[in-house]
Order: sequence, then C-alpha cells, then structure tokens
Amino acid sequence: MRVRAALAAAAGGALVLAAGLAGTANAEAVCSHDVRVLAQPRDGLTLLEKYKDEFKGLSGASFNIDYLNENDRRAKSRADASTVGKYNVYYIDEANVALFAKSKWVVPLLDYYPKEYDFADFDPGRQKVATFEDKVYFAPLTGGGDLLVYRKDLLEKAGIKPPTTLDEMIADVKKLHDPDHGVYGIALRGQRGSGANVWRWMPYFRGFGGKWFDGNTPVFDGEPAVKATETYLELFKYSPPGTKTGSWDESTGAFLSGEVALLVESTPLAGEAIDPKLSKVVGKVGYAPPPSPLTGGGYAHGLAIGTKANKDDAAKKCAGLFIAWATSKENEKRRLDDGEFGELNRTSIMTSDEFNQKFGADLGQALAETAKVTAVNFWQDPEWPNLGDHWGIELEELITGTRTDIKGSLDELNTFAKGLVANRK
Amino acid sequence: MKVRTSLPIVFTVPTLAVLAILAFVPTIDAINIALQNRELSNPDSVYIGFANFRALIDDPRFLNSVRVSIEWEILTVVATMAVAIPLAVLMFETTPPNVRNALCVLFIVPALLPRVSAAFVWRFAFHPLFGLAVYPLKLITGHPVDLLADPHTAMLAVAVVDVWQWGLLFSVVIVKLLETLPPQPLEAARLDHARTWEVHAYVALPMLRGALISLVFIKMIESLRAFDLIYVMTRGGPGITTETLDMYAFSQGFIESGRISYASSMAVLMMIATTVAFTVLWRRVQRWQEV
Repeated sequence: MRVRAALAAAAGGALVLAAGLAGTANAEAVCSHDVRVLAQPRDGLTLLEKYKDEFKGLSGASFNIDYLNENDRRAKSRADASTVGKYNVYYIDEANVALFAKSKWVVPLLDYYPKEYDFADFDPGRQKVATFEDKVYFAPLTGGGDLLVYRKDLLEKAGIKPPTTLDEMIADVKKLHDPDHGVYGIALRGQRGSGANVWRWMPYFRGFGGKWFDGNTPVFDGEPAVKATETYLELFKYSPPGTKTGSWDESTGAFLSGEVALLVESTPLAGEAIDPKLSKVVGKVGYAPPPSPLTGGGYAHGLAIGTKANKDDAAKKCAGLFIAWATSKENEKRRLDDGEFGELNRTSIMTSDEFNQKFGADLGQALAETAKVTAVNFWQDPEWPNLGDHWGIELEELITGTRTDIKGSLDELNTFAKGLVANRK
Repeated sequence: MKVRTSLPIVFTVPTLAVLAILAFVPTIDAINIALQNRELSNPDSVYIGFANFRALIDDPRFLNSVRVSIEWEILTVVATMAVAIPLAVLMFETTPPNVRNALCVLFIVPALLPRVSAAFVWRFAFHPLFGLAVYPLKLITGHPVDLLADPHTAMLAVAVVDVWQWGLLFSVVIVKLLETLPPQPLEAARLDHARTWEVHAYVALPMLRGALISLVFIKMIESLRAFDLIYVMTRGGPGITTETLDMYAFSQGFIESGRISYASSMAVLMMIATTVAFTVLWRRVQRWQEV
C-alpha cells in the first residue's frame, strides 16, 4: 500500500509539475501558428533560417519564408494582400509602402514591435523611407543610397582620377570603354520597372532639377526629363550586352565579373565587390559618392505586418515579434560576422569598430559622403508603382530602339499621369 | 427498361454538375468583374457596363498585344509542325528501331522539363556574353549578339524554345503514328518508283491527316498558354514586342496598376475570340475531312 501511495503521490506530483510547466509555456508562447513570410531572396534571410529554433524558443512557433525575385515579389504580394491574405509578414519597399499603407494591407509596425528591440537604432534615412503619413510600416532589412563603384586598376592605367562630376564621368566612360579587350565603360539597367531602369534613370532626372508633381499636376514632362533620358541613352552605348533588358543582376554581374570600368549603383554592390565568392575584382575596387549633380537613390526594403492573415491582436503581436527578432541587433551582428554588407541597417552596427575592420575605412567614408546626396527620387504616392512601371516600359522601348521620340514618350506619360490623378479624385 | 435508361443519367449528372461548376463559376465571375471598375487597392466598385471593353479599343497596348498573340500563335504552331513532321520522317526512314527508340526518349526530355526551368536555362543560353547558344553568332559577327533585347529577334528566340519543347515531342508522336501504318500502301508507292518524300507527302501523311490535325489543335491550345515561357525570358519586352494578351492582362491586373476589372475584360474577350476561332476552324476542318 505504501508503495502504491508513494507511486500515486509521485505521479500526482509529476502531473502538477507538468501542468505548471505547460502553463508557463502557454503564458510565454506569443505565436500559435508558424509565421508565413513572402520575401525576395536576401542573404540575411537565408542566414536567419538557420536560427529557426531560436525563434521557436522565443515565440512558441517557427516561420516559413517563400522567396520570389523583386518584380514577382511585388506582383504576388500585391495580389495576395488585396485578396486572400495568406501571408503574416510581407517584404515591402520604398516603391510600394505608400500603396500598402494607404490600402491598409499592412498595419503600423510600432504598435506591435516590442520596445526592447530598439527601433530607433535603425539608420534614420531608412526609418524615413519606412514611414508613410507619420507612421512606420516596416523594419529595414536593407537600404541606403548610391555609390560610384569603380575599378582602381583600370582608372590608374588610363591615368584618370575618379570622376566627381557627370561630365567627367561621361568622358571617363568613353575613354575606358574597350569591348575588344572585354571592358565596357559603364553598366546600366534597361529592364522595365519602377525599381529597375527607372530607378537608375531617376538620379539623372532629379539631378537635372526634375520634379514629378506640383500638387496634383504632373510637371515631369520638361527639359530635365528629356536631358536625363538623352544622357541615359547616350551612356547605354557603353553598357555591356545583356543590360538593355537586364536589371541589378545583369548590371552588377558584369561589373563583378570584371567587364565594367565603373558604375553608379545601390550601396550593397560595395559589399558584393569585396566578397571573393561573388567577385572577381576583389582588391581592385574603389568607392566614391555619385558624380555631381546626380542624386543618390535613397531606398529601403523591410518586413511589415500583414492585415488580413493576422486577424486578431495576438496574431499581429506574433508577426511583430518575428519582425523584431529578424531585424534585431543580434541578427544584424550575425550578418556582420558573415560579411553581409548589404544586410546591415542599424547605426550601432554600422558605426562599430568591427564594421570598419571588416569593410575598411574607405567604404565607411564613401558611405558617409554619399549620405549627404542621398534623396528620395521617386513620387511618394500609392500610385507610384503604376506611374513608374508605365515609364519603365517606355524607357525600355527607348533603350531597345522600338521607340525613338523622347518628348513624345514623356507627353504620353504625362497624359497617363493626369488620368491617374483624375481617377483618384 | 427504366433502370437501363436512368443509369447513364445517374453516372453523368454528378460529373457534368462538377464540370459545370468548375467551368461556369469562374467564367461568370470574370464577366461580372469585367463589367465593374474594381481595383486591387480599392474594395469599393460599381457596375460601369461595357466601359472597360470600349476602353480596350482605344488602348494601343491592347491592340499590340492582340497582334503579338496572333503572331505568336501562327509562328509557334507552324514552326512546331514544320520541325516535327520532317524530323519524324527522317527518323522513320533512316534509323533502325533501337536507335529510333533511343532518339524518341531523348526528344521527350525537353517536354518533361517544367516550362519555367526551360525558360531560365535558355535565357542563360542566349546571354550575349556567356551564352552557349549565341556563341557561334558571336564568332561569325565578331561581336556579342543580344537576341532577347533585339525587337526583331526576341520573339523568334522565345519561339525556338517553344519549338525545342513541342516540335521534338511531336516528332516522337508522329514517328510512332508512322510505325502504326500498314506497310502495303507505302510499298505499293515505292514499287511505282515514288521517291521517299513522295511516299510520305502523298501516301503516309494523308493517311495520318486526322491525327496531324489533332496535333495542330493541341499545339494551338498550348501556344495560348505560353505566359510562363515569355514572362521568364523577356517579360514581354523589349518594350512590348513580345507582350501577349495574357501577359498584358496580368500586367494590368497584378504588376502595374491593379486594375483587375480591366484585366478581366481582356480575359473575357480572349475567351470569346478563342472560342469563336476554334469553333470555326473545327467546323472547316471537319468539312475538309469529309471531302
């Protein structure tokens, strides 16, 4: 009897303990389901997937990320967020944050972003891009401006200094262009898209004093846009084959494989250029701010909380916790240790000694200088993807020669823009 | 007798009902959306009659996409059959059965590849600097050739991939059909001193007329669904030179403007046009076969 009583008491005790533990676990489990994320491929996210167990320990659930390239990710997230709403977290960017926020497809982030993860630590420029009508909608995964990235060896051989003005850059491009020996002067993006060819064209447009709208009136149909397009088309004569219908991959790929003398591109290229896994030009690359009067294309991409898939506050908190963890200082430190330059967004990380040791003081200085000319080049409006993509098609036609009338194309875009504004009214 | 007559109804009605639901519900929904002004970013919409259809008539990009779709349809169907028939005859006439079977297995492989994978492989093969497929052109012309960025060659380059998948597969189908033909008529023609091409042009292939027409119809339907191939290889570019109707509809619905009603009106028009075209063609072919 004593043995039985002892066993019963032990079993009872175990049950109470188990119940207690379960209670504790339930109290801590922020997430009841795995978090579904729609994103575009990023080294930082791939690295994150190695630490799924850490998030599970923190939240009580895991996460799954579906990847699509940039244009497809934009199309899919737009279709999903406006219809079924399958994803708890969307990867959004400067081009569609206004559309997503205005359409209420995402919720303001800071309502669900735990304070201890220190949102204020993010680069102020990227915080600004993530903000629409005074509310923050995403936590940055990447961002920055533009850099002039050039081949030090080729410039030295030709006896020229890195260009500081656009005129100098055009002259240098012509001088360095030597396709017979496998070197093209510059690499540009020709593929249609507000985030593709239009993105690289806008620094010229804004640099020449162009403006998209004055109130509700389109004013881009003028001399700056014509001059910007003429310059862009002129420079395309020195861009490698494959870039006329190519975007970031084709343009930077040509540079990293050693076939391009210089280019103005988004800042993550600097990190890729010094990565021996990606670059054949390690040790031969220099950095400088974009030549004057080009403005740097300020941008940021990040994670936002979907409205439809997260029906209640608990689900939104879970998505908020995932975003906070994914963009935390600890995870940024892991990206820094992994040498992922383009995946760093926090001031505390980018000003650290370790950052300088890893990427060199030159790059740090170039980044500080380019920040001064970084600007928001696009029209900050929910209709921007519509307008930008429309211009992207016309620009691709001009680049590939299926249309030749620059002013006529801009007039056509102007009529289209007026229609957009009229529909909104 | 009653039991006998009701059985077919018992078997067919549920199947037909499921088919009707699957076919008509999305169709009616598409027509319904096409008559509104619904946009992805705006849940409120009203009925606007045929305004979307009227707008299409004035949309040069829509008219361009119709032209591109027709060109794509004719180019790929003709090229597929033009490759498949001679290749099948060549295999039938020149290869022993074991070699022919090995070739058949080889020719089926491209069609087994998912379209998107095939498109990515070929896009790289056409890369002006690194692509294997354009390397001979680079040697001949002395400079890199960017076929996918040239408005004159982009559609041809994409059509090559389509024909690579379907032309080779159809050649296997046709060679197997040729093997099933009774040998006597072919032997009789040869005894009458008919040349090899004459044996096939005037005897063998006319005997396969029905099967070949079916293959043409299959390819016509398949060519209408080339969205994934074109999307991966050119995205409708350069400019809009390879933008087919379905691609433009997708672009309007989900990439550029989120105008799903406008996109639906294109889908409805495409459905009506293809239904009418296929019905007319089918009837003509039937009459031709009866002659």
